[in-house]
Amino acid sequence: MRGRANAGLLVGGTLVGLVVLAALVSFFWTPHDPTFVDAARKLREPGGGYPLGADKFGRDTFSQLMVGARTTLYVGVVAVGIAALVGTPLGVVAGMTPRGWLSELIMRVNDLVFAFPALLLAVMLGAVYGPGTLTAMIAIGVATVPAFARVARAATLQVMVTDYILAARAAGRRRPGIAVRHVLPNIGSVLIVQASVSFAIAILAEAALSFLGFGTRPPVPSWGRMLQESQELLFSTPRLALWPGLAIALAVLGFNLLGDGLRDFLDPKLRRIRAER
Amino acid sequence: MRRIGIWLAAGGLLLAAAACGGSADGGAGGGAGGSSKAQSLAVGFVAEPANLDFTSTEGAAIPQALLVNVYEGLVKLGQDGRIVPLLAEKWDVSADRRTYTFTLRENVKFTGGAPFTADDVVFSLDRVRTDWKLKIKSQLDVIDTVTKKDDSTAVVTLKRPSNGFLYSMATRLGAMFSRTGVADLANKPVGTGPYALSSWRRGDSIQLDANPSYWGTKPPLSSITLKYFKDATAMNNALLTGGIDVISSVQAPESLQQFADPGRFQTVEGTTNGEVVLSMNNGRPPFDDKKVRQAVRHAIDHKALLDTAWAGRGQLIGSMVPPTDPWYEDRTGDYPYDPAKAKELLGGKTYTVKMRVPNLPYAVNSAQVVKSQLAQVGITAEIEPLEFPARWLDQVFTKGDYDLSIINHVEPRDLGIFADGSYYFGYDNLEFGKLLAAADEGTEQQQADDLKQAAKLLSDDAAADWLFLFPNLIVAKKGVTGLPENAIAESFDFTALAKQQ
Amino acid sequence: MTLYLVRRLAVLIASAAVAAVAVFAFMALLPGDPAEIALGVNATPEAVAELRRQFGTDRPPVAQFLDWSGGLLQGDFGTSYVTSAPIGPQISDRLGVTAVLVLGGMVVALVLAVPLGTFAAVHHRDPLGAVVSAASQVGIAIPAFLAGILLVFVFAVRAQALPSGGYVPFADDPGEWLRGLLLPWLSLGLVQGAVLTRYVRSAVLDVMREDYLRTARAKGRGRTGALWRHGLRNASVPVVTVLGLQLATLLIGAVVVERVFVIPGLGDLLLNGVAGRDLLLVQGVVMVLVAAVLLINFVVDVAYRVLDPRLR
Repeated sequence: MRGRANAGLLVGGTLVGLVVLAALVSFFWTPHDPTFVDAARKLREPGGGYPLGADKFGRDTFSQLMVGARTTLYVGVVAVGIAALVGTPLGVVAGMTPRGWLSELIMRVNDLVFAFPALLLAVMLGAVYGPGTLTAMIAIGVATVPAFARVARAATLQVMVTDYILAARAAGRRRPGIAVRHVLPNIGSVLIVQASVSFAIAILAEAALSFLGFGTRPPVPSWGRMLQESQELLFSTPRLALWPGLAIALAVLGFNLLGDGLRDFLDPKLRRIRAER
Repeated sequence: MRRIGIWLAAGGLLLAAAACGGSADGGAGGGAGGSSKAQSLAVGFVAEPANLDFTSTEGAAIPQALLVNVYEGLVKLGQDGRIVPLLAEKWDVSADRRTYTFTLRENVKFTGGAPFTADDVVFSLDRVRTDWKLKIKSQLDVIDTVTKKDDSTAVVTLKRPSNGFLYSMATRLGAMFSRTGVADLANKPVGTGPYALSSWRRGDSIQLDANPSYWGTKPPLSSITLKYFKDATAMNNALLTGGIDVISSVQAPESLQQFADPGRFQTVEGTTNGEVVLSMNNGRPPFDDKKVRQAVRHAIDHKALLDTAWAGRGQLIGSMVPPTDPWYEDRTGDYPYDPAKAKELLGGKTYTVKMRVPNLPYAVNSAQVVKSQLAQVGITAEIEPLEFPARWLDQVFTKGDYDLSIINHVEPRDLGIFADGSYYFGYDNLEFGKLLAAADEGTEQQQADDLKQAAKLLSDDAAADWLFLFPNLIVAKKGVTGLPENAIAESFDFTALAKQQ
Repeated sequence: MTLYLVRRLAVLIASAAVAAVAVFAFMALLPGDPAEIALGVNATPEAVAELRRQFGTDRPPVAQFLDWSGGLLQGDFGTSYVTSAPIGPQISDRLGVTAVLVLGGMVVALVLAVPLGTFAAVHHRDPLGAVVSAASQVGIAIPAFLAGILLVFVFAVRAQALPSGGYVPFADDPGEWLRGLLLPWLSLGLVQGAVLTRYVRSAVLDVMREDYLRTARAKGRGRTGALWRHGLRNASVPVVTVLGLQLATLLIGAVVVERVFVIPGLGDLLLNGVAGRDLLLVQGVVMVLVAAVLLINFVVDVAYRVLDPRLR
């Protein structure tokens, strides 16, 4: 069991590491300008400085994938960041006062927000402010808040009955102090696992939004839009769909495996709190 | 064991369903086969109408479906661009070219059963002035009076001679309505055409059935289904799998090689009235400066743009006139691709501009090429796709809040939109307006001369850039006949559409 | 139980009311005056004012809200400003299509996930169980629309066995209805099934570690037999929760599959409404989607109570 968990961690970590590496390197170097349109290179076959060929605009697929990794991470980091920063405090507060009206209110509002899935929010925000990466990130982030709040609450409930918290309370420590000093460090591992799983979902959501035209705007490369643009050439040039499709699948797989692996690795005690999809 | 049972059942279901339809020729509106009497065709379209009332709702989708097919005018536009009789057998023009006397066809009936008479002509043309809500209705402002001489003769007098009048009568403006058939135009169209509305499944399809009491040659098909697709690939797949018989307008030209097999498919390629315009906001910096606009025209390699953005399908044009208009002149040489010249015109300055385009395939594709080419001369264009129609219409067309945009101006003979200073181009040139007015009043020869000059003026002023002429690209199953080669009218004319066995 | 039901019902109603206010307020942010949009670019101010009065959009927002929400309670969603068609029937038509799509997809998901997940749990030490586990991880990682595109490519375009898209109402032709839905169901079901498989697996694993199961096995029942008799009810609790969550997100999530397969569902209606600035329609669809999720949550919570004896 342990060995397999570590294998998952290893594979997940490697895949995520590759995505991060591609994104980081893309800031300094890509083989070609990923957005430069060149009629002469239209649908160029792979090889000769174009390892994966070029698309119908003559843009280098490999460079696009690299910068697309940046877009993917960007969306994931901001969306998960929003969710974690808003959801965690709410969940901790609700968990520390399980019978209070505040807890009840938080969880009810939470359920309400849950009724607005990321796609729906993104379409609504897109209608008001125009579709784009920013609206997509915010929508995915807000829609992920309930997941974080629930997981943080469940973990806090568990932590609150442990001996050291009871001791701290007996010693007369105030609640904010306990929250920061004792609760947060102890639920950290659960949150990291949740972040990893949410990251995977955010990548899928961004891809779906790009497919519907509510995601990243052209010409900024995005895996989802690459996939969408490749559709009309699925017959003649399937590789244009293959690479972004593979990139999305491997990145999602990587984050999911990383999440599962981390759960087993970081804190076996908290295994029972499952990350929310 | 039980679980395996479920699996087998599910698998069996799939196989059974696949088998039961595998042999039948298409399902949803596909060829019914069999007797030639009950033939039907399904045609794929891109934009579904919001409602069926083209007297109050803008957009090409409604006349595309209904004009000529359901509604007929006194005249119609032939494939060669000439005006031919329809509900009027003939017409006489007075010597001063201000009085048109239309002799109407006998025995024409509306689908409700009411006969079509000169009263309906008076009613329909008056209604344009009183009830229509579209901007284009001003084209018929030139009408002074419409009177009935007898049941089969209607007389229209104009305030001044106008070449545009008869042409406008061939568009939706000249559609003939029944005095008793305008109660619910949005849902129940009543016309005299070869087809009549049978059903409309919103979000999916419109079905037209042959009109049994049609006055003219009965249409060869018993029904036509107009099926709407938001996604180009989905439409392609529908044709590949027999869901539809015709793609009315290819939206993913790169995919055409899927239909290369002449044993199964045919491709029709012709021209349209659609000028894909790179509009520049003449009303505000930096494009209020003619030199900057000219620089843009020199900076764009139109041939490369057409090849990358639209698979080389279409035709290059240099001004607002399609080749099917009598006053067309090749203006593609006015601004040859010359980045050095463009930089020189910009005087070493660089600009950052907003390119707000509708989220339509041709526009988003073209925008990416334009952005790349403008970057070469120091103009940074930030692409912002806006949902079409609503958001684009609001931001760009109505409010004029844009620097660059790309849109296919599909209206026929739409040179005049540049004469309107309030139009979103913000182009204001008195001389241009005068040329257009003179062209409308003059003889045919004068009209052609003046419009040629007007088109040249537009090009010289770089009022906009013309990226390419949108192609009429139709793909159909082998055996479908009567497909229009050129899409120069507002309607997709179904009257000749047929299917060979 | 009754007290719980009453309380939970009160929460449901309050949530729906708050959601209605939120949706209405949000829509008020949308740029563009419906009357101006309807009349186009060349309208006179008088005509716009007149149409505004007809639409009722010249009244204060509170009055408009009360009007709209009052209509909702009677099942009246108003009349579209753009298409001048009543909105309620459109929504109910589309909701029916989406419901069939989503429920069918969930059935496929369940048919896949319950046996596979149980298998993976029972064999969690064998290579075979690991293969199922890994396969489900890969399944989760594939976007639903990609699955759809690939299925169309293989079954419709290449094999010509099934239609590539389109929706034929059941009443028109039950056979075609079924044929048209098979691939959409599969695309939803495969991806959701992969997610569900993971949950079934861990739920069954948890149950297998419980004492009563060990006892049952000690009493001589086989592993599968013990699981079947004692474990399934307990394992179903977390699975039902996940099922509810999936159902809730799928109502709108199905929109990508609706796009791929040209199915006139609720998500498709929403996107059309957004593109056409049909505010009242968008408002209605969003409200229905949100209310549906709230209702599903309610049902799940109640089911949770019923299924899990410890919570009674």
